[in-house]
Amino acid sequence: MRRTLDLARRLFLLGLLAFFLAPFLWLATTAYKPSSAIFSIPPRLSFMPTLDQFRGAFAVFDIPSLLESSLLIAGFSTLLSLALGVPAGYALARSQTRLAMAVAYGFMAVRMIPAVAALIPFYLLMRDLHLLGSWVSVVLINAVLNSAFVTWMMFSNFRGLPKELEEAALTDGCTQFGAFYKVALPAARSGVIASALFCTLFAWNDFLFPMFLTRLDSKPISVALLTAYGTNDITWGTLGALAHFATIPIVLIVLVLNRYFVQGVARGVH
Amino acid sequence: MTTSPALNSDRLAEAAPAAFGFRQRRRLFLIAMAAPAVLYVLALGVYPLARGVGYSLYAYNLLDLRRTHFVGFGNYIDLLSDAEMRRALVNTLLFTVAAVTIELGLGFLIALALWRDDRFNRICLTLILIPVTITPLAVGLIFKGLLLADYGLVGYWLAQWGLSSPRGLFASTATALPTLVFVDVWEWTPLTALILLAGLKALPIDLIEAAAVDGATAIRRLRKIILPLMLPAILLALTLRTIDAFRVFDIVFVATAGGPGDATTTLMLLAVKEGLSFFNIGRASAIANAMLICIALIAAVYIALIRGADRRANGR
Repeated sequence: MRRTLDLARRLFLLGLLAFFLAPFLWLATTAYKPSSAIFSIPPRLSFMPTLDQFRGAFAVFDIPSLLESSLLIAGFSTLLSLALGVPAGYALARSQTRLAMAVAYGFMAVRMIPAVAALIPFYLLMRDLHLLGSWVSVVLINAVLNSAFVTWMMFSNFRGLPKELEEAALTDGCTQFGAFYKVALPAARSGVIASALFCTLFAWNDFLFPMFLTRLDSKPISVALLTAYGTNDITWGTLGALAHFATIPIVLIVLVLNRYFVQGVARGVH
Repeated sequence: MTTSPALNSDRLAEAAPAAFGFRQRRRLFLIAMAAPAVLYVLALGVYPLARGVGYSLYAYNLLDLRRTHFVGFGNYIDLLSDAEMRRALVNTLLFTVAAVTIELGLGFLIALALWRDDRFNRICLTLILIPVTITPLAVGLIFKGLLLADYGLVGYWLAQWGLSSPRGLFASTATALPTLVFVDVWEWTPLTALILLAGLKALPIDLIEAAAVDGATAIRRLRKIILPLMLPAILLALTLRTIDAFRVFDIVFVATAGGPGDATTTLMLLAVKEGLSFFNIGRASAIANAMLICIALIAAVYIALIRGADRRANGR
């Protein structure tokens, strides 16, 4: 009985794996198909692998420049969000006033703002500040929503840590900042890594903000993917090749840091 | 965890003789640590939002600035009588309820299957999370391509066998919205499974085993012990998914762009179209603010529930 149940459980999970992975593998393999295989009727699963689609993608798009913009946006958004959110999360967790709790929930509320409600007035604000068209404006708006998210996440993280160690350090003559930086922060390391991961994921994958806030020379790969899709003479093969660069870096990062991703979510629950 | 915080602070206060007392310096330090984030979010988040509320009270189109004038709640009243807007609201609500229900149900089943901590399960969990990490834009493209009726790997056969309209699942009014729900379920169920799994793993195992020894059936253990103790995790998954599904944009924008007709137009799509394609800022701001109010209501309910659960769990 127990063995059949365990077998059924494994089969269920294998079926789920196929369900969740097959569509992604389809897009990834499209990049290695010759155009004749992509458009064949009826559709076939087998094909002769080729790198033609990558040549096509590099001919139409300046892929290094697209990746550079994506990296700049994701990198600086993450750094700014952490620099703002981690100390704030700590302060709110250690302060015992009602106001601190209210502010923490306020940050959680900011994370829930629909992107368009923030984007339209932000777009006009950036226009007034002459920052429209540059990746800096994308970093600034990402950091609003993400620093709020990091604050909330670190608030729950630090709240789960005992205060006694920091208090001991303070009695021993450690500075206030030292108690945060040398005692509390290392203990919350996995929370910080998880926060960074979520910020990077969000900034790398988003296309609504850069679509309206950047210009041709500063657009990231997500926007290029959209432009490619909207163009008639771009084929699914080119899209597949372009999607390699848009998806695989981030998938690899999450696979490598999977432990922190899982732990981060787990800690956020408390 | 039961040492009195007051006692510790008193000892600290004696240990730090300075111009300020220890408590004041501690307070100043904590305020200084929180201030940058608070000010940043106020300046670049809350202030623009407030300006957005202002815009929504004007007839304000960037392409026709001379005709800008104050209309009060005119934009909002227009929305109430607008058929496209009502359609978008209904679509958004249907999409949210359907997607969140399926994601929570299926996510819970997956979490139960992944509960035991063995090698097989760890590898499964890692791989299952891949959809969550992919650009939503690419997710939309994947299903658009797979479901194309003329040469899509799945769509071709669905159309051949008469399981979808000859023009594909996304091209028929009846199936377009359910198909989008399916795409959302594919993309986000792994995340709800992960959150619920974290909740399961935090459960006191001995309590559940004791109940099993006492003869409680599996269903009874689930209802009386597992579900109540998992309430915080369930609420978190529910909150995150409801709010994200309500704001859905990327997959709809790519897969159907709101069509066919207005069968899949959502609130977010409508606001983006009005504001950033037609530059009708007044009307778009009104839609965005209406969404903001809806989300605030959803969030208020959930925050009250979460705080209640939190208080019971932490005894505060």
